[in-house]
Amino acid sequence: MDWQALTLSLKLAAATAALLVPFGIVVARVLAWRHFPGRRVVEAALALPLVLPPTVLGYYLLSAFGMRSPLGRAFDALAGHPLAFSFAGLLAASVIFNLPFAVQPMQRAFEAIPADVRPAAACCGMSPWRIFSDIELPLAWPGVLSALVLTFAHTLGEFGVVLMVGGNIPGETRTIAIAIYDRVQAFDTDAAGAMAAVLLGLSLAAIAIAYSTTRGPARG
Amino acid sequence: MFHRIRRFAAVAAAALAWVAIGVHAADVPNVAAASDLQFALPDIAAAFMRATGREVRLSFGSSGNFRRQIAEGAPFELFLSADAGYVDALAREGRTEGNGVVYAIGRLALFVPNGSPIEPDATLRDLARALQDGRLVKLAIANPEHAPYGRAAREALMHAGLWEALAQKLALGENVSQAAQFAASGAARAGLVPASLARAPALAARGRFVVLPASLHAPLVQKMILLRGAGPTAHAFYDFLRQPAAREILARYGFEVPSAASDIR
Amino acid sequence: MAEPREIAREADGRLAVRVTQHAPIPLEATFDCAPGELLALTGPSGGGKSTLLRCIAGLERGARGRIACAGGVWLDSDRRINLRPQARSVGLVFQQYALFPHLTARGNVMAALGHWPRAKRAARAEDLLASVHLAGLESRRPAQLSGGQQQRVAMARALARDPQVLLLDEPFAAVDRVTRQKLYRELAELRRTLAMPIVLVTHDLDEAAMLADRMCILHRGRTLQIGSPHEVMTRPADALVARLVDLRNIFEGVVREGRTAQTTVVDWNGIVLEVSHATPFAPGERVSWTIPVSGVVLHRRDRPSRGEHENPVAGRVEESLTLGDDTSMGIRLDANGALLTLRVPTHVARRNGIGIGVRAGASLLADAIHLMPKGSEA
Repeated sequence: MDWQALTLSLKLAAATAALLVPFGIVVARVLAWRHFPGRRVVEAALALPLVLPPTVLGYYLLSAFGMRSPLGRAFDALAGHPLAFSFAGLLAASVIFNLPFAVQPMQRAFEAIPADVRPAAACCGMSPWRIFSDIELPLAWPGVLSALVLTFAHTLGEFGVVLMVGGNIPGETRTIAIAIYDRVQAFDTDAAGAMAAVLLGLSLAAIAIAYSTTRGPARG
Repeated sequence: MFHRIRRFAAVAAAALAWVAIGVHAADVPNVAAASDLQFALPDIAAAFMRATGREVRLSFGSSGNFRRQIAEGAPFELFLSADAGYVDALAREGRTEGNGVVYAIGRLALFVPNGSPIEPDATLRDLARALQDGRLVKLAIANPEHAPYGRAAREALMHAGLWEALAQKLALGENVSQAAQFAASGAARAGLVPASLARAPALAARGRFVVLPASLHAPLVQKMILLRGAGPTAHAFYDFLRQPAAREILARYGFEVPSAASDIR
Repeated sequence: MAEPREIAREADGRLAVRVTQHAPIPLEATFDCAPGELLALTGPSGGGKSTLLRCIAGLERGARGRIACAGGVWLDSDRRINLRPQARSVGLVFQQYALFPHLTARGNVMAALGHWPRAKRAARAEDLLASVHLAGLESRRPAQLSGGQQQRVAMARALARDPQVLLLDEPFAAVDRVTRQKLYRELAELRRTLAMPIVLVTHDLDEAAMLADRMCILHRGRTLQIGSPHEVMTRPADALVARLVDLRNIFEGVVREGRTAQTTVVDWNGIVLEVSHATPFAPGERVSWTIPVSGVVLHRRDRPSRGEHENPVAGRVEESLTLGDDTSMGIRLDANGALLTLRVPTHVARRNGIGIGVRAGASLLADAIHLMPKGSEA
C-alpha cells in the first residue's frame, strides 16, 4: 500500500475540485442563462474531454506544458521547475480534463430553476449576490454536489493523461492509479490488489453520494 | 443556507492551502532506472540506506521514455539507462554532469512460463520449430523503438533468421517489465526478457529460462549518468553503485559488472 | 420632459407609463393609473401585455421611454435613468407565481422583507399571510399548496415589499372557476385597504369588466384605447378595438344628411339607420359602426311592441346557438345580405318558434348604434 501515492491522489482530487467548482459555477450560470452566439460551440468544446482519448489529451497538454512551449518556459522561469512532470502540471491537466464533469451537472441544475424565479427574487428586492446565495445555490445544490463528487472521483482514477503529463515520479506525480500500474509491473500483486480495492471503494462511495443527491431533499 | 456555503468555502480554501504548502522532503532524489533493474535496484537502494542512512526514490520504465522525459525537464537527478546511446545523447545535449560511466553489461534471456509448449533452448532452434508447427502464437519482447533490450531481442531474432516470420506474432511491451508480464502471465508463450528479470524470484517461480549467448546481439552496455543539478545524495548513490557491495548485488541478478580498474568514463 | 402638472400628479402615487421597445417584443404603449385604481391591460395573446408589466418592474432592460411612480422616476431614457428591479418598489405576481420552491410560504414572503428589521420579519410575514387567508399554512412549501393557495402566497409576497404599484400578470389564469370567483372577491376586499395603483393583465374580457376601474386595450404592443370597461366595450375607438372586445356586429356604412342636429343617418348598404345622437362624422364619410347584441331586439310574435319601428330589419335565421339560458342567433338580412347577431333568452326563442331557416325581424336600437372612423383594419 503506497500511502504516498494515495495521499498525492487525494491532494490532487481535492485541489482539482476546489479549483473547478467555483470556476464551474460561473461558467455553468453563463451557459444556462445567457444565450450568446457560439454558445453551442462552447458547450461542445467543454464536453470534448469526455470523448477524447486520454492520450490525445495528454499529447496536447504535453505540447502546451513542455519545455518547447512558451507557457512551459514561462512557468519554469517563475517556479524553477518545469510544468510537466510536476504536481502543478498534473493539477492543470486535471482541471482541463474534468471540465465537463464539473460544468455539465451544474449547468443542468441551474437550467432547471424555473425561469421566473430569479426575476421574482429581483422584484423582492434581493441583491444579485443574495439571489445567488439564497435562491440559486440552494436550488442547484444537488448539481453542485454532483459536480464536486464526480470531479473528485474522476481525478482519483485518471491514468492516461497523468502518465503522459506527469511521468511516474514518486511523491510528485505518482498517483495511486499509476502506483497500481507500477506495482503490477514489479510483480507485486499484493500491493496492487490492496490499492485497487481502496480505489474501488472510494469510487463506489463517490457514485453513491452523487446519485443520492439527484433525489435530494432540497426541493420540498 | 449561507452557513453551508461558508463551510464549503473554508474546506476548499484549506484544501488549496494544503496543496500550496505541499510536502517536499529534503534531498530525496528521483532516480530514473531502466526496467531491467526492477528487482536489483531496490536491493541496492536498501543497502545504500543501511550504509549511509539516506533515501532515494526509484522510478522504473523504458530507457527511451526516460531519455525523452529528461530532455523535457523531468526532475530526475540520476539516470540508469539500459544502454549507452541514450546517456550519450543527453550528455551531448548538455543536460548532464560529465559523461557517465558503465555500471553493468546486460544479458538477454529466453523465458517460458509454466505450461508453455516451448522449450528454453539457448540456440533458439526450438523457437524456430515452434514457429513452424504452430506452438508459438505470441512472443513477448520489449518495444525496440525505445527499450534497449527490445533492440537486443530484435537483433537476436534477426541473427536466428526469425525476425520476418515473427512480425505478426510479437507482443510488444512498453518496457521490459511489461514484456515479462506478458510472458509470466502466459498471455505470450515465450518472451525475450532481461536475464535480471528472469532470474528474479517473482519470475523464476512462474517459469523456466535460459540466458542467451552474448554473440546473438550487440552488447547491452548499461551506462548511468548524473543529471545537471544533482544533489549530494544523488552523487553519493552514484558512487555507491560502483562499490563492491552494489556490484555484488548486480552480479547476483545476472549482470556482468566491470571491475574497478576498467571503469569506462 | 414631464410637465409640472404631471409631476404634481405623480407625487401623489400615480403611475405614469410611456414605453417604446423594439426587441424582443415591439412595444409602443402609453397609459397611467391612479392610486387605488385598478387598470386592466387586455388584448390578444402575444400583444405584449406581460412584457409591458415586466418593463414597469424593470425586468426588460431594453425598454426606452419614461416610467414614473409616486414622484420617483424609474425609467427615463432622456436622462439615462433605468433603475434595476431591486431599486423600484414594485410588487409583481407572476403568471405561474414563481414561488421559491425550497422555502416555506413564510420564507417566501420574508424574502421580500429585506427592508424590515430582521427581528420583525417573521411576524410581518405571518400577518401578510393571514391577510390573504392563509393563516395556519405558513410552514408549507409551495409543492404542498393548491393553486389558489400558491397564488395567495405570491400576492402576500408582492405586498410584503410595501410596493408603490401592484402588478398582476394573469394571476387567475391557472385556477378553476370556483377558486377564481373566491380570489376575485378577495382581491376586491384587499383593494379596500390598498392605496396604490394596481395593473392587472388579463386576456379575459369578463374578468376585466368585473374587476377593473379602467381598461386598456393592447394590440401588438400598441395601446389602442383606455377607458372604463363599459366605455371601451360599447364605444370602441375603431373597428379593430371593436373586434378585440368581442363585439359581433361590426359593419360599414356611409353617413347621410341628418334629420335633426341630434341624429345621424347612416346608409348601411341599402338599409337606412337612424342613430339617436350626434356624431362627428360629415355626410358622405365612410364609417364603421357597431351595435352590441343587447342593442338588437327581436320582433316577438307573441308580444309585439312599439319599439319595432326603430330601425327595423328582417331576414332569415341562419345561425342559432343555444348556450344554456341564452340563444345566440344570426339573421341574414334580406335588404343587404349582412349577418346580424343578437341574443335572446332560450325560452323566448322556443316560444316564438324561431330556429334556423325561419324568418324573423329585429330592431336596432337607435341609441345603441356606435359610429367609428373607418380606419385600416390591422
